[in-house]
Amino acid sequence: MGYRTPPGALSPRAALPQAGARSGRDAGPRAPPTEPGARRRKCSPAAVRRAGSSWPAGGHLARLAAAPAPWCAAPGGPRRPELGLGAAGEHAEGRAERAPRACAQPPCLWWRKPSSRRSQAFLQMCNLPIKVVCRANAEYMSPSGKVPFIHVGNQVVSELGPIVQFVKAKGHSLSDGLDEVQKAEMKAYMELVNNMLLTAELYLQWCDEATVGEITHARYGSPYPWPLNHILAYQKQWEVKRKMKAIGWGNKTLDQVLEDVDQCCQALSQRLGTQPYFFNKQPTELDALVFGHLYTILTTQLTNDELSEKVKNYSNLLAFCRRIEQHYFEDRGKGSSSIRSS
Amino acid sequence: MGTVHARSLEPLPANGPDFGALGEEAEFVEVEPEAKQEILENKDVVVQHVHFDGLGRTKDDIIICEIGDVFKAKNLIEVMRKSHEAREKLLRLGIFRQVDVLIDTCQGDDALPNGLDVTFEVTELRRLTGSYNTMVGNNEGSMVLGLKLPNLLGRAEKVTFQFSYGTKETSYGLSFFKPQPGNFERNFSVNLYKVTGQFPWSSLRETDRGVSAEYSFPIWKTSHTVKWEGVWRELGCLSRTASFAVRKESGHSLKSSLSHAMVIDSRNSSILPRRGALLKVNQELAGYTGGDVSFIKEDFELQLNKQLVFDSVFSTSLWGGVLVPIGDKPSSIADRFYLGGPTSVRGFSMHSVGPQSEGDYLGGEAYWAGGLHLYTPLPFRPGQGGFGELFRTHFFLNAGNLCNLNYGEGPKAHIRKLAECIRWSYGAGIVLRLGNIARLELNYCVPMGVQKGDRDEFQMWFLLEGRSVLCT
Repeated sequence: MGYRTPPGALSPRAALPQAGARSGRDAGPRAPPTEPGARRRKCSPAAVRRAGSSWPAGGHLARLAAAPAPWCAAPGGPRRPELGLGAAGEHAEGRAERAPRACAQPPCLWWRKPSSRRSQAFLQMCNLPIKVVCRANAEYMSPSGKVPFIHVGNQVVSELGPIVQFVKAKGHSLSDGLDEVQKAEMKAYMELVNNMLLTAELYLQWCDEATVGEITHARYGSPYPWPLNHILAYQKQWEVKRKMKAIGWGNKTLDQVLEDVDQCCQALSQRLGTQPYFFNKQPTELDALVFGHLYTILTTQLTNDELSEKVKNYSNLLAFCRRIEQHYFEDRGKGSSSIRSS
Repeated sequence: MGTVHARSLEPLPANGPDFGALGEEAEFVEVEPEAKQEILENKDVVVQHVHFDGLGRTKDDIIICEIGDVFKAKNLIEVMRKSHEAREKLLRLGIFRQVDVLIDTCQGDDALPNGLDVTFEVTELRRLTGSYNTMVGNNEGSMVLGLKLPNLLGRAEKVTFQFSYGTKETSYGLSFFKPQPGNFERNFSVNLYKVTGQFPWSSLRETDRGVSAEYSFPIWKTSHTVKWEGVWRELGCLSRTASFAVRKESGHSLKSSLSHAMVIDSRNSSILPRRGALLKVNQELAGYTGGDVSFIKEDFELQLNKQLVFDSVFSTSLWGGVLVPIGDKPSSIADRFYLGGPTSVRGFSMHSVGPQSEGDYLGGEAYWAGGLHLYTPLPFRPGQGGFGELFRTHFFLNAGNLCNLNYGEGPKAHIRKLAECIRWSYGAGIVLRLGNIARLELNYCVPMGVQKGDRDEFQMWFLLEGRSVLCT
C-alpha cells in the first residue's frame, strides 16, 4: 500500500518528529467531517509541537506530546488474539485474510486523538499488527465521515464500534471471556463514556469560544490554503453546534460540562477500583475506549486545564492510563519494530 | 433585412432624368433591380442626421459607436447597406427586441439638397426577463429557473442568474457581462457559480463552488480569452463500493488558475460544417495565485472540413492535451483528462478508457484522439430539398489513447506510450441536425484495440451534442 511507519512510530514520543515531517508532504485534500466521504487531517508540524503535555505522575512521562495520529496500516496478516499481556499465543500464519491497513486519522488535532487512540489500543490489545497513516483528508475518505477507519483488503471500516464488530467477525475479540452480565455492563459503560466524554471533548473544542479561537480554528484549517481554512473551520463549528443543540447540550455552560465529566470519571473510577483493568486481568474494548479518551484529555494542551484536572483527581484512572500506555505503546514500539515496518 | 423605406427625393435638383420615376416607387421595400441600380449609385447623398426613437435607459455613447459608419455612406446603396450593418450591430448588443430602419430625406432649415435622415426605431427589452424550464436526463429531473437583466446600466451590461433544482443535485450561477462600448468583441465578464456533478464512471461526485473573471478580445482573425478562476472543489465517493484510489482523492481543495484560450473558427456552421477549419488552443496554469493545486495544462482541438463531390463533406479532427503537475503532489482526479464516449472515441463507454482501479476510471495526464468522418446525403435522397436535408449519413473512424505521465522516463517514452495500444473504432450512422445547436446521431460502431480495463460498447448511441443518451 505504500504507507510506511518508521519503527517505533507508535510510541508517541517517537512519532512526533516523523509524523510532523511527513505531514507536510502527505497533506492531501481534507475532507469535511460532515461529508460521508473520507476525510483526513493533515498534521502540521507546528501544531504538533505546540501540543505539549505532561503526565501528572512520574516525571519521565512528562514529554508525552499530543502525537498526531500516525498512519495506520497493518501489514501482514492478523494473528490470533492474545488476550493477556504479551503472552506468546499461537500465531495464525495460516490465515488467508490480509491485515487491517490504513487507519487514517487526523494527527495533531487533539479531538481526533481519542478516536485514534482507542482504536489503536484496541487493535494492539488484540495483537493485530497495524500501520497508522496520517492524511489530511481522512475524515472525507471515511465512508461514514468519522475517523479513524481501517482499510483491510477491499474493505473500509470506520469508527470503533464497527471496527470491533469487524475484527470480531474475523475471529478476534477481547470480550470472549466475559459472561452475559459482564458484557451488558461493558456495553453500558461504553455508552456512558461515549455520551459523556466524547461529547464533552467536542464541546470543549468547538463550543468554548476561547479554545475555538486560539487553538481549534487554526488547527482545523491548517492543511488548507486561504480562504478555505476559515470556511471549513466555520462550517465544522456550525455543524458541531447544531449537533450539540440536537442532543440538548446547546445551552450547557462550561462548568456544567466539567461537572458531567467529573461524574463520569467518578463512575469509571469506582468501577475500576484497584483492578488493573475494568474486567479484572484482561483488557477489553472498554479499556481501550477509556484509555483513548483519558489519554487525550490528559495529553492535549488547551486554553484551560480544568478538564485534565478533573481526570487527575482520580489517581487510579491515571495509573490505568499509564499502565496501558506503557505496556501497549512503549514496549510494543520497541520490541516489535520488525513486524511493523513493512 | 428589416424595413427600409425610401421616399422621393423631390427637393433635389432634377439632375437625373429618371428622378420622377423613382418617386412613384417609393413604397417598395426592396431595392429596384439592375435598371435602377446605377442611377441610385450615381446619386451622391449625405447622411445629415441619424435619429433614434424608443431609447429609454440606453446611454448614448454605445449607440453612437455602433452607428458611426452610417455617416460615411456616399450613395443610397451604401446608406442602405451601412444601415443594415448598424442594425445588425445593435441587435448583437442584446438590448433591443426590435430595430427598424427608416431612411428619409432631410427636412428642415439646414437640409441639404441631397441630405438624408436615417431613423432607427428601436424597442428596448424589458428590465427583467425570466424563464422556467424542466429538464430530464442522466437519471435526474430538474427544474431550471433563469432570470436575465439586460442592459442593466444602459451600456449593454447583462446580469443573468440561473438556478437549477434537481432530484439529486442543486446548482446555480450568477454572471455579469459587459462589452466595451463600440467594440462588442472586447468584453469582460464575472461569474459566480456552484455546480455539482456525478461521474458514475469514476464513482465520483464533485461539487465546485467558484468565481471566475474573464476578458475576451479579438486579434486579427482570432478570438482570445484570458481568465482567472478560483474554485473550491469538494470530491466525494458516489457509492460505498468506490475503489480506494478514488477514496483517497476525496476531500476539499482549492484551485486558483489563470488560463488563456485562443479560437480561430472559419467554419460556416458549428453543427455539420461544410467547409472551414477550427483551431482551439487552451492553456491553464494553476497554483501561482493561491490554492493548493498546482499544474500546467495544455490542450488543443483542430478540425478541418472539405466539401467533396456529390454534396459530401470530409472532416478530420484531432484533439490532444497534457497535464503536468508542478511540485510533489500528484494530479487530482478532477483535473485529469478522460477519453471515450460518443464525443471522442465512439464505441467505448463514456470516459471509460485508460487507467482504472477496481472498475473506476481515474483519467490520465496525457491524451490524444482523432477522427475521420465522411458525411454524405442519405442514399436515394428522400425528402430532398426539405426535411431530408437535415439528415446525413455518417461514416467514421475514431482513434485515441490516454496515459499517465510518470516523469523520469523522458518525453520520448511518453510519446511511445501514447503511440502503443491505441484504441480505435469504426462505424456508420445517421446524423440529424437540430437547428444550429445540436445534432442527433444514431451509430453502429465496432470498437477495436480494446485494452484490459476499458469498457467498450457494441451498441447504438444517440448523441446529442455533448450529452449522450444511451440506446441499446
